[in-house]
Amino acid sequence: MSALNDIKTKSRTNLGRRGFLQASGGLFVAFNLFGDAEAVSASQPIGSVQAPPPEGKLYAWLAVHPDNTATLFTGKVDVGTGTKTALAQIAAEELDISVDRLAVVMGNTSETVDQGPSYGSRTVRYAGPQIRQAAAAGRAVLLDLAADHFKAKANSLSVKDGVISDLSGQSISYGDLVAGKQLDMTIGATGTSFAMKVAPEAKAKDPKDYTIIGQSVARKDIPGKITADFNYIQDVKVPGMLHGRVVRPYGVQAKLESVDESAVKGIPGFVKLVRRDNFLGVVCETEWAAIQAAAKLGSVLHPKGPDAYAAKWSKWDGLPQMDNIWDVVRDTPGTTAVVANKGSVDQAMAVAKKTLKATFRTPFQMHGSIGPSCAVADVGKEQAIFWSGTQMPHEARRDMAKLLGMKPEQIELRWFEAAGAYGRNGLEHAIADAALMSQSVGKPVRVQWMRWDEHGWEPKGPPITQDLEAAIDDNGNITAWRHKMWIPTFLDNTLIAAQLIGRPDIVGAVGHGLPAIAYAYQFENADVACHGDGRVALRTAWLRSPAQYETTFAMETFIDELAAETGQDPLAFRLKYLKDQRAIDVLKAAAKQYGWAPRPARGQAPQAGKPVKGRGIAWVNRDDSRVATIADVTVDPSNGTIKVDRVVVAHDCGLVVNPNGLRNQVEGNVIQSISRTLHEEVTFDHSHVTSRDWIGYPILRFKEVPDSIEVVIVNNDPKYPMHGAGEPSTCPTAAVISSAVYDAVGIRLRDLPFRPNKLKAALSQA
Amino acid sequence: MTQKLVIHVNGKNRTVEAEPESMLLYALRDNLGLRGPKFGCGLSECGACTVLLNGKAIHSCVMPLKMVEGQKVTTLEGLVEDGKPNKLQQAFIDEQAAQCGYCINGMIMKAQALIDQNPHASRDEIKVSLEGNLCRCGTHMRILRAVERVTQGQASQGGN
Repeated sequence: MSALNDIKTKSRTNLGRRGFLQASGGLFVAFNLFGDAEAVSASQPIGSVQAPPPEGKLYAWLAVHPDNTATLFTGKVDVGTGTKTALAQIAAEELDISVDRLAVVMGNTSETVDQGPSYGSRTVRYAGPQIRQAAAAGRAVLLDLAADHFKAKANSLSVKDGVISDLSGQSISYGDLVAGKQLDMTIGATGTSFAMKVAPEAKAKDPKDYTIIGQSVARKDIPGKITADFNYIQDVKVPGMLHGRVVRPYGVQAKLESVDESAVKGIPGFVKLVRRDNFLGVVCETEWAAIQAAAKLGSVLHPKGPDAYAAKWSKWDGLPQMDNIWDVVRDTPGTTAVVANKGSVDQAMAVAKKTLKATFRTPFQMHGSIGPSCAVADVGKEQAIFWSGTQMPHEARRDMAKLLGMKPEQIELRWFEAAGAYGRNGLEHAIADAALMSQSVGKPVRVQWMRWDEHGWEPKGPPITQDLEAAIDDNGNITAWRHKMWIPTFLDNTLIAAQLIGRPDIVGAVGHGLPAIAYAYQFENADVACHGDGRVALRTAWLRSPAQYETTFAMETFIDELAAETGQDPLAFRLKYLKDQRAIDVLKAAAKQYGWAPRPARGQAPQAGKPVKGRGIAWVNRDDSRVATIADVTVDPSNGTIKVDRVVVAHDCGLVVNPNGLRNQVEGNVIQSISRTLHEEVTFDHSHVTSRDWIGYPILRFKEVPDSIEVVIVNNDPKYPMHGAGEPSTCPTAAVISSAVYDAVGIRLRDLPFRPNKLKAALSQA
Repeated sequence: MTQKLVIHVNGKNRTVEAEPESMLLYALRDNLGLRGPKFGCGLSECGACTVLLNGKAIHSCVMPLKMVEGQKVTTLEGLVEDGKPNKLQQAFIDEQAAQCGYCINGMIMKAQALIDQNPHASRDEIKVSLEGNLCRCGTHMRILRAVERVTQGQASQGGN
């Protein structure tokens, strides 16, 4: 059967909905100028729900348009990390088309295959090979079409930038071959989500022939973002849309006792209070009215207490004392997971010349998205449509089906990029909030959280405590190593709204903490284990490098303590106990770039309050990517401030698709993790989170950014498959800074964050 | 109650029907459909909503509409020249100075105000100017380099 018979004359029904993918080429007006304009116009009809396309069909992945441009469809989403461009490069490489002429549609559940959530630095790693195979299959299909057209053999044809030529020099474009039709060919797919295998028969290019992968292609999304020609989820408007705001309980588990509707009825544009058990929302015709109404109801907490505003909450003060949270974490029943168990640590401790012990404590931290969570819902009796910036659109579709008691087939989610989330923040929860409000008023409702909703209610990274212990022999060798972690859940994917309506178990599960660590040191006796808890005090979920930022802090700082205790150079000390060649390679590459001169940490008390410089080093294996970081810091003993001056990162995530995109990610990880290390701690009283704005939860500002961040790319080679870069370089930072501070002033900081008052107090006691 | 107010936005007089006490940001976004200024905090703490008011950078999330009646407002859209990014915008594109990009409106508007006042601002002066603008992705190094492209005279002329 010729490939031509597989092209359906009907274009993909769902392509026209957003008005930019018609075969007419309507997309490309804006595309020519800035690359990513998508019109979301309030005049366009909302339309009806469509199911995801079948993953075994080529059209589920690719469309070719008459003007010889193409579209890649992927269930992955770009959360600001540049994966739209990286995945486009992978597809364009196999398809032999310029990346400029390949548009990317992400996350719309009606148009894309569920390739799993976009988290865990897994997008390029897992979706990359799926897209590579789909695009390779697409190229083969196009060659078959051309073979029919030219009455030639496919293997006698050549392709250059979407134009196929035969041996006589005749040529035809992909666009002319496909002529606006849907690519209905079967390419095959097995498995689901990350493990899905797409077009297993398709033969992908030899990496030595790559011309697009490995190039620093400019990101597709950036021009639109720079010129305000880009639609974030916050920009979506749909016909007849109303505006909703949430009013959360005063105390985390407080009950809603009464609401005085008269307080808000007179607000011009007021539509309805939406109350279900402890869920309270207000819907108005304008955003301003909704904000005013929510304020009158008590969305901004009143210091006078839970009944100071029109919504009256029961008194609830069940949160533990903030300073005591780590003891609570330690005492919570949970499950123990063993990471390493070698020899007998107890025995080695008993006969050791010296033993060292230290405890590390890290607080609740938040994602701190600059744009608060937002979603639009249009919930009817027969169908529900959502607009969201979630990192897991397909999962959110299924979650909304559960929440609303509908079938997934009745639900569609249309994805738009949100402000960076760095994990599971409020985006998924805002969908549920919008769902309940839309269902209640029978119209589309846009819900945007206010800053205090986001800071107060986004799921946090959990507080963690860790005990480390080691034994040292007469020769300064480590004979035993013990690392115990207490980690509350970072896997909670339940919904706030579900909890508030009294059905907390209807979507997702709380889960429990896992030992997020790759223990790689070769000590004779080792005992590494994690006590994993459920929810402790506040709702927690995954935050960039979940728990591994914290475990790396403890492990690598303690290694530095041992090196200092035994008078050894901290780099040589690490290398002595490592066999992981990729770890060794990144440590050496970072040292080379930095100009590392071997010496033990100085660790001397500062003289007369003058600023002192120090250096620190640490590394991580985060999900098979290896990263080593070295930094110089300046400590000012007069005020306790720490300034990071220079950062060197050696990064091995295997084959790099876009080197500049990688550098952008590494720089971002470094700066964000410096912020987490120096500043960030969620505060709470017995009722609720009290750090509800950027004053209460400060993050790094321009005056504190390093003078330079140098990135060395290691093992950028096809024999190392593409791994993740969205998270790994977050992990070493806290240990690097702690060790550098020790090098500078002889103070060992083991409790995050390293705020000036903490260091100053430690210095005054030293 | 809502009133009709005229503001001069990106070179044109625009009539907005809104409450005079409501904030300029909502008029720009919801009434006029502009996408440059963003809601970040509503508290004048993050800078995502920055616009130019008579050439000066202000936080539109806390600026009552009645205070800007008849005055000149410039948004990120208004910096675009003949359909092309202006010099500063082009410098951000050339430096690939964005990740999620949500804060970038504020960065560009604040930096534009600085450049208009101090065309050869130093790195330290740029840092001081942007001190009130938060970026969570950690794109600071690129933002500084992008602004320096203009203040240090290395910027390309805009356009593609």
